[in-house]
Amino acid sequence: MILGLRPPVALAALLAAVAAVIIAVFNWKGAPVTSETFLVTTYIGLFLGALWAMYATGLVVVYTTTGVFNFAQGAIGVFAAFLYWELHVNRGWHSILALFVVVGMFAPALGVMLDIVIMRRLRTASLVVQLMVTVAIMVLLLSVVGDIWEADTPRRVPYLFGIENGIDLGPSQLPWHRLIVFLAAIAIAVAMRFLLRRTRIGTAMRAVVDNRELAALNGARPNVVSSTSWALGSMLGALGGILIAPELGLDPATLNNVVIIAFAAAAFGALRNLPMAVVGAMLIGLLRAHTGAWLDFGPDYRFAHLSIAPLILLFVVVALPQARLEVGRLAHHLRRHERFTKWWEGLIGCGVIILLAVAFSGGWLDFGIWDPGAWGSRELNSANEAMAFALIGLSLVPLIGWAGQINFAPLAFAGFGAFVYLKLAGDTGNGYWILLVGLLCAPLGALVALPAARLRGLYLALMTMAFAQAMSLIFFPHSWVLPTIGVGRQFPHIELLGATFDDRRGFFLLMVCIFAIFVFGLVLLRRSRYGRRWMAINDSQAAAATLGIPVVWTKVVVYAVSAAMAGIAGVFWATVSGNVDSVQGFDLLIGFNIVLLVAAAGVSIPVAGIFLIFIPLFTGLGHRLEDAGNVDFLVTLLDILTTYGPGMLVLGMVFNPRGAIFEMGRGFSPILPWRSDARAEIAAENAQKREPEIGELGLERPFTPEEVIAIDRRLGILDDVVPKEGYGASRS
Amino acid sequence: MKHFRWILGLLAALTLVAAACGGGNDDDDSGSATPAAAPTEAPDDMDDSMDDSMDDGMDDSMDDSMDDSMDDSMDDSMDDSMDDSMDDGMDDSMDDSMDDDAAEPVATEEPEVDPCEAVDLESTDTGITSDTITVLVMADVGSPLAPGLFQGSIDGIKAWADHVNSEGGLACRQVEVLEHDSAINPTETTNGFLVACENAFALVGTTALFALDTTDLQTCPDAHGNDIGVPDFAYITTEPPHQCSVVTFATSRPNSECPYAGSGARTTQSQVGHVQWLQENIEPDLNGVYLVPSDLPSTIATSMPQVRSFQEIGVVIDGEPGISGFTTQSEYGAFIQIMRDNDSNFAYSGSDDQSMIKWRSEAEAQGFNADDAIWMCQLACYTPSFLEAGDVIEGTYTWIWFLPFHEAEHNQELADFMEAIDNPFPAAWAAGSWADGVLFEQVVNGIVAEAGPNGLTRQAVLDGARSLTSFDVNGWWSPADYSTTQNIMPCFMLMQVQNNEFVRVHPEAPGELDCNADNVVELSRDWAAEFGG
Repeated sequence: MILGLRPPVALAALLAAVAAVIIAVFNWKGAPVTSETFLVTTYIGLFLGALWAMYATGLVVVYTTTGVFNFAQGAIGVFAAFLYWELHVNRGWHSILALFVVVGMFAPALGVMLDIVIMRRLRTASLVVQLMVTVAIMVLLLSVVGDIWEADTPRRVPYLFGIENGIDLGPSQLPWHRLIVFLAAIAIAVAMRFLLRRTRIGTAMRAVVDNRELAALNGARPNVVSSTSWALGSMLGALGGILIAPELGLDPATLNNVVIIAFAAAAFGALRNLPMAVVGAMLIGLLRAHTGAWLDFGPDYRFAHLSIAPLILLFVVVALPQARLEVGRLAHHLRRHERFTKWWEGLIGCGVIILLAVAFSGGWLDFGIWDPGAWGSRELNSANEAMAFALIGLSLVPLIGWAGQINFAPLAFAGFGAFVYLKLAGDTGNGYWILLVGLLCAPLGALVALPAARLRGLYLALMTMAFAQAMSLIFFPHSWVLPTIGVGRQFPHIELLGATFDDRRGFFLLMVCIFAIFVFGLVLLRRSRYGRRWMAINDSQAAAATLGIPVVWTKVVVYAVSAAMAGIAGVFWATVSGNVDSVQGFDLLIGFNIVLLVAAAGVSIPVAGIFLIFIPLFTGLGHRLEDAGNVDFLVTLLDILTTYGPGMLVLGMVFNPRGAIFEMGRGFSPILPWRSDARAEIAAENAQKREPEIGELGLERPFTPEEVIAIDRRLGILDDVVPKEGYGASRS
Repeated sequence: MKHFRWILGLLAALTLVAAACGGGNDDDDSGSATPAAAPTEAPDDMDDSMDDSMDDGMDDSMDDSMDDSMDDSMDDSMDDSMDDSMDDGMDDSMDDSMDDDAAEPVATEEPEVDPCEAVDLESTDTGITSDTITVLVMADVGSPLAPGLFQGSIDGIKAWADHVNSEGGLACRQVEVLEHDSAINPTETTNGFLVACENAFALVGTTALFALDTTDLQTCPDAHGNDIGVPDFAYITTEPPHQCSVVTFATSRPNSECPYAGSGARTTQSQVGHVQWLQENIEPDLNGVYLVPSDLPSTIATSMPQVRSFQEIGVVIDGEPGISGFTTQSEYGAFIQIMRDNDSNFAYSGSDDQSMIKWRSEAEAQGFNADDAIWMCQLACYTPSFLEAGDVIEGTYTWIWFLPFHEAEHNQELADFMEAIDNPFPAAWAAGSWADGVLFEQVVNGIVAEAGPNGLTRQAVLDGARSLTSFDVNGWWSPADYSTTQNIMPCFMLMQVQNNEFVRVHPEAPGELDCNADNVVELSRDWAAEFGG
């Protein structure tokens, strides 16, 4: 151990420190270093750290006490900040009263509601579902905020304690507000630590997350405990949102993005250690403040100071001790009755997809106002974008759906593919380079897989999120990667097999064909040795390793396959857009939405990717309805569906964790003549649900209550307490 | 996508500022001009004074700073009155109609003959019927995270259409407005071009930030199947493909040369008149900090020319730090420290109103004496929400290139706008899209005067717009040279926040703009590379 760190971690920390020094030397701004500037910069860093520490404390408390990592923590803060503004600024309530109502009443109520309505149902859900649902809550909360408080008017939240007066620091001063917030953040962290470690309710909270049943046997009330945890987490999120809003202004996206810094801070404390989470937040705050004061990164790395938190998150998550194996949840994951699609079924399915696409884009079928074939260029353009996203979504099927490797960075892989294609094909549009793009993107996937090989579940999700954020802040904005757009298309129309796909219908059909090829390839892959290995490591890495499956290599392969698919998809996505904005194009939220929709559809089903096409279908239908007139309610309904639909669909995973396409497939498959297995499965399920007729049991009349008791006694299953109304009453 | 309101609003504002005010042509002392076509009740002497000042100024000094084409256009167009500013590019009948009264929708040499009575109106092109002209206004409105961002643009065009229709319509037809929400999204922006191509005669009031691919805009077929494009009368053009589109005519004049490959040096004009005024009247030795909004390459490319132009006129730049939408107020403390370290007396924000509020609030929090520096912002600060910040922004200067909203009595066009928009402090986007409407209206009127109401086609509108040499929104805005894309508006006016109001500082006389010859600096650099970070 070196300074309390394991040698590999100590070495990594040392390398990071050396890298930081080199970066600092080469990017030194040259500003004079005065004690005053240093002091001011330091207190600014500590103050920022204190704000982020509040978010991080909430995350750690919820994770420690419920086992759920709440991606919606930032969105709760956003909602609370807007509500506080509404009460205090817009309605003129006193700040303390507004603060009490929001933090003391609304936030805990929201937390308890989330627990009762959603979180309790996620106890036995897979981690994928748990994460997706919290991301969906985040998206929904932000949408609600956008709907209630229109963002066209800039809003400012005043500082709680004012910043005009403070402690004199020579020419500068330390405002009381910042000092109070700093001390409050420390106090809250200490209080939470005390609560969790030294009080009965805190012990119960930690006990419930470890073993709910055992905790209940020892007198804990698991439901009350989990509700308390969520209430506490929401209160801390709300407080953090209200305190940071004056710093950033009331902008939902900007405020929500702060949570990534809190993730990094929480990861610094291994998601469970409150003091270390606070230290992490302070460290990030100090690094960011001093970087801004002394360093100058130039136009290509202009987001370098913003990427400190994602880079720390990436580093810390990779360096964290390996996550424990989740054997306790194994039983919920197994797919003992999984049926593999036959190759010829895949072939037929792909043919159907292509035929439907031809009917859609060619207008062969006439459904009047519902007829997609009659749509114009606008709808086709949207459909093309959605089809490109569907291709990107498809790359998640083997990775998340089969191998269980959560990936929030599909857009980073896609963007990398677009970048490679731009460098290879230049302005020629030569489609043959696309194959090479796939081959060159695969190593990037393998590179990500190396640190991912030792990670699982939440840590993996955080790592991919940090990777996506780092790519979008450092790699894509570089002028060499995606040069500033001049005149004309950056990505020309693709030329393939002697044809130039400059017609939207033609390009749509090309993408559908690529989609069908991907789906068919996945069907074959799933039946292959690798497909089985991927599912095996998803079920149990330990068991898979015991069986001789090389876990690391298997992960590397699945990441490479996924990256190759996403890279190819990225070429089509960039070509649809023509010009890709290097900053806006790779936002984490878009990646989130792709993952969300594919997960809601059923991420283990290859055709789930096509679910994304429903967005432009809905939108296009809305346009058609608008054009038809007098159907405002339908337009409004479609508008609501488009805005809230994805989030609501993902929330549906609480009840149907395998996704909508899976359930649709279950309903559809018995119709197919060769699917006798599906019919038998349905029949068996129905038989289980059906109350047998007396005659089927070889009896002529129902048992009397006395006879039931006698039989139970005979079988040794007599309950201690016989229902007051007797056994027969409920049956009659 | 980083669909952040802050960046987007800022990007738009920056584009506007960069586009503002170029050229200049006055050799008199004040350099001020009354560009206004006075309201109907305005006395004749207003016209005279305007004529004189603009006339003299535009004649001589333009020779030095602007190219020949600008010279020709401005020489001719400013001679008689601001109203015939389209003089060179239009034929005689157009001249006459504009001379008589630019606000009149239809004016011919024989006004007693109603041209609408004399012809059977036809559907002459896409978006035109015998009784309607359909225009499409596209604006970024419906992003879930920034709803209503440019709703003002849509409001402005609707108000303009109502106003035009109430006065008898355009080309003997009523104007109908289609709306398209580009949703801060490149795909939806392209969709807007497609919708316009299929359903509208022209785009008017475009306020879309992510017009990254203008292929569909420029190659849209007209009713005869010719791929001539859709006329696009845009307010802002943020991306080079949009700035350099051959069918786009932006009233917030693009400040940079076209065509542009996307990298390397680009010749760009910047307005410096407002800073020169500070040097001449308040502090000759300005040194200070310029905040560069650095979230997007386009915001950097818009700000850096201004920074270098300030240096060109003698301002010492102590620091040009980049700021982001994610920059917290306390991080502005670093900029205060730069000012302390260098005894800066000048603080200029190239960003938006919220950024300036943060900067000044942080200065207060750090105990920085606000009177030690001149705080200056641009059009982005000319908002009601800026004033809502209260005392902290007291004394901040801001400059614009049109007559402010409270001077409606000095210009008929502004008065019409304020009446139609029905808002005492409307969004600048509304003013911008209204200006687009007026530009479209003038081009259409020119065509009608020449070829009659059935002469109206997309090709005719494109030809008419391309032959424009100057336009000033009937005196409300600074005149601008339309002969090339890179000729920004030469005039400005300066305001200061005093007692929670925007108070005119320069030129002092209401209804005037400063159109000095040296208001514009032209430089050629690789602007993205200029940014230090």
